Amino acid sequence: MSIIEFKNITFRYESDDEGVVLAPAVKDFSLNINEGDFMAILGHNGSGKSTLAKLSNGLLLPESGTVLVDGMDTKNEDDDIKIKQTVGVVFQNPDNQIVATIVEEDVAFGPENLGIEPTEIRRRVDESLKIVGMYKYKKHEPHKLSGGQKQRVAIAGIIAMEPRCIILDEPTAMLDPEGRRDVMKAIKRLNRELGITVVYITHYMEEACEANRIVVMDDSRLLMDGTPKEVFSDTDKIRNIGLDVPQTCQLAKMLKNDGIKLKNDLLSIDELVENIDELLKGH
Amino acid sequence: MIKDITIGQYFPFNSVIHRLDPRTKLLFTIVFIVMVFVSNNFVSLLFNFVIATVIINLSKIPLKTVIKGLKPILLVVIITSVLQIAYVKTGITLIDVWKIKITSGGVLTAVFMAIRISLLIVMSTMLTYTTSPTSLTNGLDKLFAPLTKIGIDFHMVTMIMTIALRFIPTLIEEVDKIMSAQKSRGASFDQGNLIKRAKALIPLFIPLLFNSIRRAYELANAMTCRCYNGGKGKTTMNALKFNSGDYISYLVMLLFITAIILLNIFCGEYNAEFTFNLAV
Repeated sequence: MSIIEFKNITFRYESDDEGVVLAPAVKDFSLNINEGDFMAILGHNGSGKSTLAKLSNGLLLPESGTVLVDGMDTKNEDDDIKIKQTVGVVFQNPDNQIVATIVEEDVAFGPENLGIEPTEIRRRVDESLKIVGMYKYKKHEPHKLSGGQKQRVAIAGIIAMEPRCIILDEPTAMLDPEGRRDVMKAIKRLNRELGITVVYITHYMEEACEANRIVVMDDSRLLMDGTPKEVFSDTDKIRNIGLDVPQTCQLAKMLKNDGIKLKNDLLSIDELVENIDELLKGH
Repeated sequence: MIKDITIGQYFPFNSVIHRLDPRTKLLFTIVFIVMVFVSNNFVSLLFNFVIATVIINLSKIPLKTVIKGLKPILLVVIITSVLQIAYVKTGITLIDVWKIKITSGGVLTAVFMAIRISLLIVMSTMLTYTTSPTSLTNGLDKLFAPLTKIGIDFHMVTMIMTIALRFIPTLIEEVDKIMSAQKSRGASFDQGNLIKRAKALIPLFIPLLFNSIRRAYELANAMTCRCYNGGKGKTTMNALKFNSGDYISYLVMLLFITAIILLNIFCGEYNAEFTFNLAV
């Protein structure tokens, strides 16, 4: 069952200057996101990934083609609230997503807008904060938290609406390594424990490896689609469009070029070490 | 330095006053302000003073903090008092040197005004000292909700207030960052005359404004993603509820209003000469 379907969509931003037509940010793009997936979307700046995030819940509407969220067309205004409740989006800068002056009140913002009963909101807020590991900060003021903590509050704010799919648009781009790790941990929990579909837009290859499906975008189009092992085994194609491959893949590739017969789909450090170990034992 | 801003400063103690419903506190503050203005003699004013003292005591907020809160308006109090002394020429002449003439009426009016202004400020700060900004906006939202019926969307006002309160620290941080960035490129913000200093602020405010607009766009997107639609059909997690303390407060409020009216009638309109003679 796919939760989001992009069907041949094209989208272009309007130019500030009159008469100038910009090149499309997303061009003839088709993709099905299956329920329960943990999908990573890779691509360098300007490849159209962020636009895709905004197209997926009706923040932007495609110029041509359709986006279906659980069968609902994002162009249909009557379903707007339902679509936004089904697909939540978390953006890059946590500072610009937090509305209230107290953590728990911010998390309650979404459910409050949906008109949910106060006792149910309380339950959802507590639960969401526990999932992202921010429960003990529920009475804190957001501006006193670190970047990673703020981003986890923003994620809790989306979970509290109980969406079936969460799209995260480079949520760790502005965070330090520790914050990045905590956010990643929370996101993995969402997918594995709650079964929420996660679409993770990122620059970091190591983060993308955590996904079970990777989509690579280049120049507004879909370039590659497959499991991390499939995608990263084609190191040349990835490097050609200006992206890095995980360091293990790069090392394996270099060793292979030197004539060492390693397997093709090595992703984690452990796998690489094991494979080298096997080869050494064979000698 | 900028971080010391005390807008909406709040002291999270656990007192009877803190636990009151924000609507009650708002109403009480309004009633108190009106009563201070209505009071037309020293006895009524004294009664206001007593009420304020009782509330400060109940709130557990140290008296020192409350008095400190008066500092910023000290100048206003002094100027008002001087003006009263200069303009009110009733009563007995106390000093008459050259062009300066100070009368008992002037002095008493000055004292009266000083107490009045101080009481107003103390009670308004007590509201923010004992009520968190969020519960204050919640209270305002609920208190003015009936206005929606006559076409005034008060929810919008409280939403703006909430966002403003939320972004004050963020923007202060940003000002610090931009200042450091500009300083590292040789800008100076604390040298030269007033005009020079004002000019130096331009490279500070332009990026700040630009960034704020960008922030606003992003925030609007984030709010839309969280199904915000202008507060229609919105519920509140921490629904406001009146408890016994609030009912007692309303009773106190009624008694307070009655007392001031009675005191105003029986003690007569404030008369400088009479009061002075009484004092002598």
